[in-house]
Amino acid sequence: MTDRRPLPHVRYLLLHAYGRGGTIRTVMNQANSLVAAGWSVEIVSAVRRRDDIQFPLDDRVQASTVVDLREGAHTPPSGLVARWRDRKRDELLQTPALHIPKGEFGYRYFNRYVEDRLIAYMKSLTSGILVTTRPALNFLSADHATNGVIRVAQEHMNLGTHRKDVQKRIQETYPRFATVAVLTERDREEYAELLPGTEVIRIPNAVHSLDQVAADPKSKIAVAAGRLFPQKGFDMLIPAWAKLVESFPEWQLRIYGSGEKKSELRNLIDVHHLYNHVLLMGHTDRLDDELAKASFYVLSSRFEGLPMVMIEAMSHSLPVVSFDCPTGPADVLTHGVDGLLVAPEDPDALADAMAKLMADEAMRADMGVAAVLTAASYGPDAVHPRWEALFTDLHEQRHGTAAVAGSAKGHA
Amino acid sequence: MGLQRVKAHAEIAEVWPRDGRIRLVGRIHGLPARDTAGSWELVLTRRAHPDRRLRYAADLKGDRFESELPVADLAAPDYAPVEEWDIHLSDGHVELRAGKHLDDIRGKKKIYVFPEQHVGNLGVRPYYTIKDNLSLECRTGGSA
Repeated sequence: MTDRRPLPHVRYLLLHAYGRGGTIRTVMNQANSLVAAGWSVEIVSAVRRRDDIQFPLDDRVQASTVVDLREGAHTPPSGLVARWRDRKRDELLQTPALHIPKGEFGYRYFNRYVEDRLIAYMKSLTSGILVTTRPALNFLSADHATNGVIRVAQEHMNLGTHRKDVQKRIQETYPRFATVAVLTERDREEYAELLPGTEVIRIPNAVHSLDQVAADPKSKIAVAAGRLFPQKGFDMLIPAWAKLVESFPEWQLRIYGSGEKKSELRNLIDVHHLYNHVLLMGHTDRLDDELAKASFYVLSSRFEGLPMVMIEAMSHSLPVVSFDCPTGPADVLTHGVDGLLVAPEDPDALADAMAKLMADEAMRADMGVAAVLTAASYGPDAVHPRWEALFTDLHEQRHGTAAVAGSAKGHA
Repeated sequence: MGLQRVKAHAEIAEVWPRDGRIRLVGRIHGLPARDTAGSWELVLTRRAHPDRRLRYAADLKGDRFESELPVADLAAPDYAPVEEWDIHLSDGHVELRAGKHLDDIRGKKKIYVFPEQHVGNLGVRPYYTIKDNLSLECRTGGSA
């Protein structure tokens, strides 16, 4: 009634908007597209530990922070009451979270202070749309963003990957959302079954661009990318490569990413004498350029949400060899068309499939062409209008269709 | 003149530190074919004492070379805790520095990481310098 803007203000709440993860990147892509389409968009960071945002973000997207944890961001106040409050703050910062289940993978980033500040922030919202982007934030939103804001929960992980205590909270709280958005068709079915009566929709993440340099199928480089930690399964990929090195000595496997398991992976490379053939490349700011040098992409993960780097690789005409892990690869890939899907966590099967592609340049070329066609349905132009349609629908439902006359668009 | 010129050198393809030996495989780059005839050897030069040199026969087929050394030869009584040996390929007339300059990888020092070989309290590890040349690093354990 008082809101005369044609479009509601959209707030994306991220745990750490200044970090480097896949969720952060895709949320920034969504924000960029929405703001370009005329929406008013804000990225809200629950905590802030860095000065700069790590991904390209349109200047028109507002950025704000709930709890600034940078050194020097908090100046100790003077005055007795203020000092008492300050001590209280320190105490709460050390106190474990109360509202977040321990099984939430981000549990350690929360504490009583961050919770209190987030709850206060959520209670203060009375209009627009609030999109929360991980279970912990979704739970807080379900309980506390109750003053009129339209709430959307994003789930970037498949249900089975969540620990039991998190699944239980999901079942309890997600029915309060206007919509729960998931990434794959399999996720949509599983969450819909757990949450009868709740609107669960599938909107995949989008790659940042489809206008990419095509890879050369002649290249003898295979590429993998991801944080060096157990989820990504590089500890299975390296022994798989060991089986190929004698038949394909001129091939190289390049693994991009950094992480806590680097020295374990390095040991594995030494044990299998792969130091000439398997390279831990570290983090790169130019992954697009590096993908374009390879002739296929390998995904060795134990689980995924929707593996975006894999789809980005496909946008460079790279075919994929992947474990059929939950979830994502089977949602995106058609076995034998744009890649090869093999039994999950089976290094021998992974090696066999890689050998098949390495031995057959024509197969790499054909599958590469198919891969770029598959990637097209994950382009920004294919995906982002679905967010606009969802937000428009939710806004109309709340305020009556008259409030947004003219701009209404149904979503498919 | 728009092309980037890489001067003649011994381009390393593979480094095999294994079973107390270090084997090197590569190609001579930038010399006319007739100049790669003759007998070649692998020359190690101790960086702190350039007069201290070790020589090993190198096997050449066309421009492809292969050579190896036992790391035990690198032991010396007068070592500082860390010593480096630089690697060349030589036919007695030209000396070609060993290195890896023809691929696209930047920062090889941190990307090509080779395992250390041990003889007594000496640890020997091949590594690429910041200029992508190949050298050996010797660490004397215990005394460091």
